[in-house]
Amino acid sequence: MVRSKLPSSKKQQKRGVDFKKIKRKIGRKLPPPKNATNTEIKSKAIILPEQSIASERVGLAVSKKGLTLKELLQQTSHHNAKVRKDALYGIGDLTLKYPDELRVHRLAIIEKLRERISDDDKVVRETLYELLKSVIFRGSKEDMSGPFISLIMAYIFNAMTHLAIDIRLMSFKFFDLVVQHYPSSFLSSAEKVLQNYGDILRKNHIFLDDRSKLKNALVGLVRCLSLLPFVNKEVDSPSDNSNNARGTLHAFEPETPKEHTGVSSIIKALEGLLPILLNCFQELTPSVRVMPQVDAQSFDCMSYVLQSIDLAVRFFVYGNNSCQTSFEVFVPSMSKGADVIVWGKNTMLMLLKKLLEVFPLSPIHHPTEKDDDRYYVLNIGIAEILMHISESIDPLAILEEKFLEFIENALSGQILCNTRSSRSVREKHLVSLLPFIPQLVSLVESNWKFRLLQAFTKAFKGCKPDSSLNLACLSAIEEMLLPLNRKVTVFLDTSEPEILDHQISWIRELPQLLVHLGDRHPSSSKVILHLQLRLGQCAPMNPSLAWEYDNMQNSLIEFYSMLLDEAEDEGGIHYGPFLKLPRDCQELSISSLYYFSSLDPLLLQSVASCCLCNNLEPYVLFRIIEVLHSSYKAGHIHIADYISFFVTLLARFKVIPEKFYCAMEDNEKISNRGTFKALTDAVCSCLSRIGDDTLVLQILQKTMVSELSLNPPLDNKRAMLRLLLLLDSRPTILPEESISNLANSVLQYLIDAASYIPENSADESNDSNQIWICKYYLAPCFFLFDRSDKLLTLVLNLMGSSMAENNSSFPSHHGTICAFDQSSRISAIASILLFMHNDVKLQRALSSCKAEIRLILRNLLSAQCPHGDDSVADFG
Amino acid sequence: MEVVIASSSIDAGISCWDLESGAEQLRYRSCSSPPHGLVCVGRRFLVSSQIRETSSSSGSVLYWSWNKPQAEIKSFPAEPISPLVSNSDGTYIIGGGSSGNIYLWEVASGRLLKKWNAHYRAVTCLVLSDDESLLISGAEDGCVRVWSLFMMFDDIGSQEATHLYEHNFSEHTLRVTDIVSGYGGVNAIVISSSEDRTCKVWSLFDGRLLRSINFPSVIDAIALDPCEHVFYAGGRDGKIYIASLTGDSTSGSGYGMHIVGALSDQSKAITCLAFNMDGVKLVSGLEDGTIRIWNTKSQQIVRMFKHAKGPVSNVLVVSRPLCLNPQTSVRTQASISRRNASLLPPPLDKYVNSTDENADLKPVSALHGPHSRTLDDFYCSYSVMNNQIKELQQEGSSAASELELERLRVECKRSLQVAQQWKKMYDDLHHFCANELVDGGQTGGS
Repeated sequence: MVRSKLPSSKKQQKRGVDFKKIKRKIGRKLPPPKNATNTEIKSKAIILPEQSIASERVGLAVSKKGLTLKELLQQTSHHNAKVRKDALYGIGDLTLKYPDELRVHRLAIIEKLRERISDDDKVVRETLYELLKSVIFRGSKEDMSGPFISLIMAYIFNAMTHLAIDIRLMSFKFFDLVVQHYPSSFLSSAEKVLQNYGDILRKNHIFLDDRSKLKNALVGLVRCLSLLPFVNKEVDSPSDNSNNARGTLHAFEPETPKEHTGVSSIIKALEGLLPILLNCFQELTPSVRVMPQVDAQSFDCMSYVLQSIDLAVRFFVYGNNSCQTSFEVFVPSMSKGADVIVWGKNTMLMLLKKLLEVFPLSPIHHPTEKDDDRYYVLNIGIAEILMHISESIDPLAILEEKFLEFIENALSGQILCNTRSSRSVREKHLVSLLPFIPQLVSLVESNWKFRLLQAFTKAFKGCKPDSSLNLACLSAIEEMLLPLNRKVTVFLDTSEPEILDHQISWIRELPQLLVHLGDRHPSSSKVILHLQLRLGQCAPMNPSLAWEYDNMQNSLIEFYSMLLDEAEDEGGIHYGPFLKLPRDCQELSISSLYYFSSLDPLLLQSVASCCLCNNLEPYVLFRIIEVLHSSYKAGHIHIADYISFFVTLLARFKVIPEKFYCAMEDNEKISNRGTFKALTDAVCSCLSRIGDDTLVLQILQKTMVSELSLNPPLDNKRAMLRLLLLLDSRPTILPEESISNLANSVLQYLIDAASYIPENSADESNDSNQIWICKYYLAPCFFLFDRSDKLLTLVLNLMGSSMAENNSSFPSHHGTICAFDQSSRISAIASILLFMHNDVKLQRALSSCKAEIRLILRNLLSAQCPHGDDSVADFG
Repeated sequence: MEVVIASSSIDAGISCWDLESGAEQLRYRSCSSPPHGLVCVGRRFLVSSQIRETSSSSGSVLYWSWNKPQAEIKSFPAEPISPLVSNSDGTYIIGGGSSGNIYLWEVASGRLLKKWNAHYRAVTCLVLSDDESLLISGAEDGCVRVWSLFMMFDDIGSQEATHLYEHNFSEHTLRVTDIVSGYGGVNAIVISSSEDRTCKVWSLFDGRLLRSINFPSVIDAIALDPCEHVFYAGGRDGKIYIASLTGDSTSGSGYGMHIVGALSDQSKAITCLAFNMDGVKLVSGLEDGTIRIWNTKSQQIVRMFKHAKGPVSNVLVVSRPLCLNPQTSVRTQASISRRNASLLPPPLDKYVNSTDENADLKPVSALHGPHSRTLDDFYCSYSVMNNQIKELQQEGSSAASELELERLRVECKRSLQVAQQWKKMYDDLHHFCANELVDGGQTGGS
C-alpha cells in the first residue's frame, strides 16, 4: 500500500513545482525510508527425530503427575517450598509404585534427599520425615549398608548444630528415625549425638513455652540411651538360649570385646550429659509442684528425664560390673580390688546427693487421685536411680528414714488408692524396685529389716498370681531364700526367727500359687516350679527350711490330683493342673519330688492317680518312674510305699476296653497297649533292682495274689503274672497258699485269653495275628506251670470241675459282662489244652497230670453228649 | 601292662584283667565301692571308698597294694565318702562326703590338709582338669562346681571372695551322675551327665553352658573321645550313645539332636565307662556284672569279662608297673610284699590337725616311685630347705656371708684397677705438663 502511493506523488511532482510541500496528516505514519533494513525475524520449528530414551515417558516410572525420578529429585532443590514438598510426595508415590526404582537408585535418592534435612521450611522437613519413615527405610531394611548410613548421618549432624532451633529439634527426630531402623548406627556416633543433646537441653528457655518439643527430644534421647551396651541386664546373661545352636564348641570366640572400643568417649559424654539432665529436672520440678494439677506434658517430660538418667546410670553400673566379672577367674586374689575404677563416680555421687534432697516429691496442693499416681511414678523412678547408684558406689548412702519409709509404703501399698487403673499402674512400676529389695533388706538395721520384709510379704501375698509383680517377687524371694543366687555376702541370718517366719510363709505360699495358676499361665508356673526345685536342692542347709520343704507335700497333693470321695471308686478323681501343663513344667515338678526327704504316701498316691490317667504322655510317665526309682535309691521313699505304687500302676492301668477290640486298626489303642508293655518292663526292672528278688517276692506276692483274685482286666493280669515270674525262680518259691489262691485266677485268665483263639474264619492274616496275641497272653501262665507242677494240677482240677458245674457263671471282662456260655467255655478249655499240649516245655509237666486230664476229658464227653458239640472230638 | 580294674557295689572285691590278653590277674578281696569310688593312686596302689550302712557315722577308705589281695590300710574319715580322685603323681587324694563336704588329704603323710563345704547334698563325682589345677565336683543337688585348688589354700583370698568356687553350673535338675573334663587346662570343656536325661557341655573358662543334649534314657556314665569330636554316654537302657561335639548337629540316628549313633548289644544298663590308653577301646561296666570292651572304630565288642553278680560300679584302665606283675615276681612275692607293706602310706586322718605348728608353710611330700631306695631322700629336704630360707632371710648363714665376701672381693679388685688407672692418667698428665714447661723454658731461653 505504501508503495502504490509513492508513484502517484512522483507524478504530481513532475507536473507541479520543484519543491512541493507534501502535506501530511497528523497521526499518519511516515513511510519507512527506502534503505530501511527489514528487521523482522521469521522462524519455523525445527523437528528432529527423538534421540534420548530417558525422556520417553511411556514405560517409564513416573509419579502421578507424570514426572520421572530424575525430575523429582531435581525439583527437591527448587526454590519454591511448595514445589519441593510436591516433589517429595512424588518420590513417595513413585517408589511405592515401583519398588525397583528405590532399590536401584537408593544411594542417589538419599544423596539428594539428605539436603532437605536442614530445609528451612517446616512442612518440607515433616514431609521428608514421613517419606523416610514410611517408604525409604522400610523398603531398604534388608540391606543396610555403611555408606547409606554415613551419607545421611553427615547431614543430620550438620542439622543438629544448625542455628534455627526448629531444625535442630527436627534433626533429633531424624536421628531417632535412623536409630530405630539401624540401631547399630548409634554406637558409632554416640559421643557426638550425646553432646548435641546436651547442647540443646542446656538451652531450656526455648522449651518453656512448649513442653511438647522438649518431650520429643527426650523421647529420642531415651531411645538412644537404651541402645547403650550393658544397659539391659538380660542381654548379656550367660545362660543364653541361642548358644545351643552354636556351631562348634572348641572354636575361639569370634567377637573380640568390641563393645569396649568407644566406651571411654561415651563415658565422657554421659558425664557431661547427666548434670544437664539433672538441671532440667530441677527446673521442671518447682514449676510442676506449684501447679494445682499436673499437666500431662510436664509429667511426661519429667518421667522421660528420669528414664534418661536411669539409663545412663545403668550404663555406668552394669558396665562396671561386666568389665570386672569377665576376667575375674584365675586372677590371684591379691591383685584384685586395687584397680577398680568406677565409671562416672563423681557424677553419680553428685546425682545421688541432689536426688536425695528432692526425693519424695510431693505436691504443694492437695493432689487429685490421678496426680497422686503421677507423683508415685516419679518417686519410684527416682528411687530406682538412687538404688542403682548406691549399689555400685555407696550402699549405705540411701538408708535414710524417708527413703526406707517410701519403699515400705510402696511395697505394702499404703499410699495405694482403690481404683483399678491406678492399682495396675502402680504394680507395673513397683516391679522395677523389687530386684533391689534383697540387697536393701540385707543392709538395713534389724527393725527396718522386719518392717521391709513385712511389707514385702504383704505385697507378695497381695498381688495377682499371674501378674508381672508376682514374677518379680518370686525372683526376689529366690535371691533371699537360696544361697546360690546371692550376690551379697552379708545376708539375712536365717537363725533369726522373724526372718525365718517370713521365709516359711513364702514357701507355704508356693503350692497354693501353683494350684491357683492352674494351667493357664505355664510360664509363671514354670518359674514357681523352678524355685521349688532349687529350694529342694539346697534344703539341707537349714533344718527348719528342709522341714518346711517336706511340708509342702501336703499342699502339693492338690497340684497333682485329689480323690474327691473315698466311696466312689472311679471318676471321683479331681486332676490338678499338673496334667495339663507343658512338658518342661511337668519335668520340673517331677524332679522336685526327688528332693523330699521322705515322700508322703498320700502324695505318692496322688501322683499314681495322675500316672493312671490316659491323658498323661508316656514320656512323663516313664520319667516319674525313673525319678521315683532314684528317690528310692537315695532312701527317700519307704519300700512299702514304693512297691505299692508299682503294684497300683500294674493293677489299675487302663488298657483298651476289650469290647472295641475287633476294630483293632485303631492306632491309639494299640499304642496304649504298647505303653503298658513298656510300663510293665520299666516296673519289672525297677523292682528287680531293689535287691534280693526272693525277699521282694515275699513282700509282694500276697498283694499280687489278692489283686489277681479281684479279676482285673486281662492285660493287667498278664502284667502282674509277668512280675511274679520275673521275681520268682525255678522251681517256684511261692508259698502253698498263694499257689492255691492263684489257681482260680489263673484259670479265669486262661479262659479269657482263650477267647482270642480264632474260630474257623477265612481271614488268614487275622488268624495268625490272633494266635500271636493269644500266645502273648498264655506265655506267662505256661512259665508258671513249668515252674510249679502243683499249680498246673490245681488249674487242671479246676478246669475239670468247672465243666461239671452246669450253672456256674464266670463274670468276664470282655464282651458284655455275662455268664459264659457253657459250651464256649468248654471249647475254650479244650483249645487251651491243645495249646498246652503243643508247648514243648509243658509236655513234661503235663505227663505227670494224666489223671486230671482224664477227668477233664470225661467231663468233656459228658458235656458233649447232651449238646452234640463235636468241635473237640478230635482231642486225644 | 594295661589292666582293666573293676569293682562292684556289692561285696565282690576288685577284679583285674590284662586288657591285651584277657588273662585275669589277682583279685582283691572285700570291696564294695560306690560309683566313682575307686582310684589308682600314682599307679602305686588301689584306693576305694566303701559303701557303709546308713547308720554308721564314719566312712571307710581302703588301700590295696598291687600284689596282696587283702586290704592293707584302712582309714575312717569323719563321714561316708563316695567319690574319690587323685592326681596323677599320687600326691593328693580328694574325697567327697555324703553331706556335701570335700576332703583333701596328702597321701604320703595321711594328713587332712583341707576340708570345705562344697555342696548342699552328697557329692557324687569328682574330676580334676587335665592340668590338675581345677577340681570339678558334681552333687546330688544337680550342681556342678569348679574349684581352684590354688584358691582353696589361699586363706586371705578365700576370705575376701564371696564364694569359694570359680563356677557354679546349676542347670541340671537332678543328681549329677558323671563328669568328664577335656584337654586344654582352663580352656577345656566339661561334660556333665545327670539323671534328668541330659548331658551338658560347659566351657571351663567362662563358665558358660555350650550345649545341652537330651538323651532317650538316663545317662550314668560318660567317656570323652581323646580327639574330643564325640563323647560316649552309657544309658540305663543298655545303649552307649555317641554324641557329637563338633559343629554340624544334624542327626541321622533318630535318637535326637547331636546324637550320631549308638553302640548297642541288647544288654543291661551301663553303669561306667573308661577309655584305654590309645583311645580306641572303650571299657563299659554293666549292671548285670559283666564288663564289655568295645572297639570304637569297628563298633564291635572285642572282649567280655564277668566280674560279679551285682552291678559293676567302677571300671578303670590303668597301666600297671611291669615289675609288680605277679607272673614275673611270683617267686619273690613274699619278700616283695613284706617290703611293700612298709611302702604303703599311713591311713588318712579323720580331722584337720589344727595344732600344726607352721600351718602356713606346709611341705608337699610327693609319693616316690616304687624303685626308689630310701624314704629319707624325701623327708629330710624340707627342714633343710626351710632352714636355708630362714637363714637367707636373716642373711646370717655362712653361705650368705661367703656370697657377701665374694662380692666384696670382686669390688675391691675393681676399685684397685680404677685406682691404678687414675694413677697412670695422673702420671701421664704430669709428664706432659713437665715436658711442656721444660720445652717452653727452652724456647723462651733460646
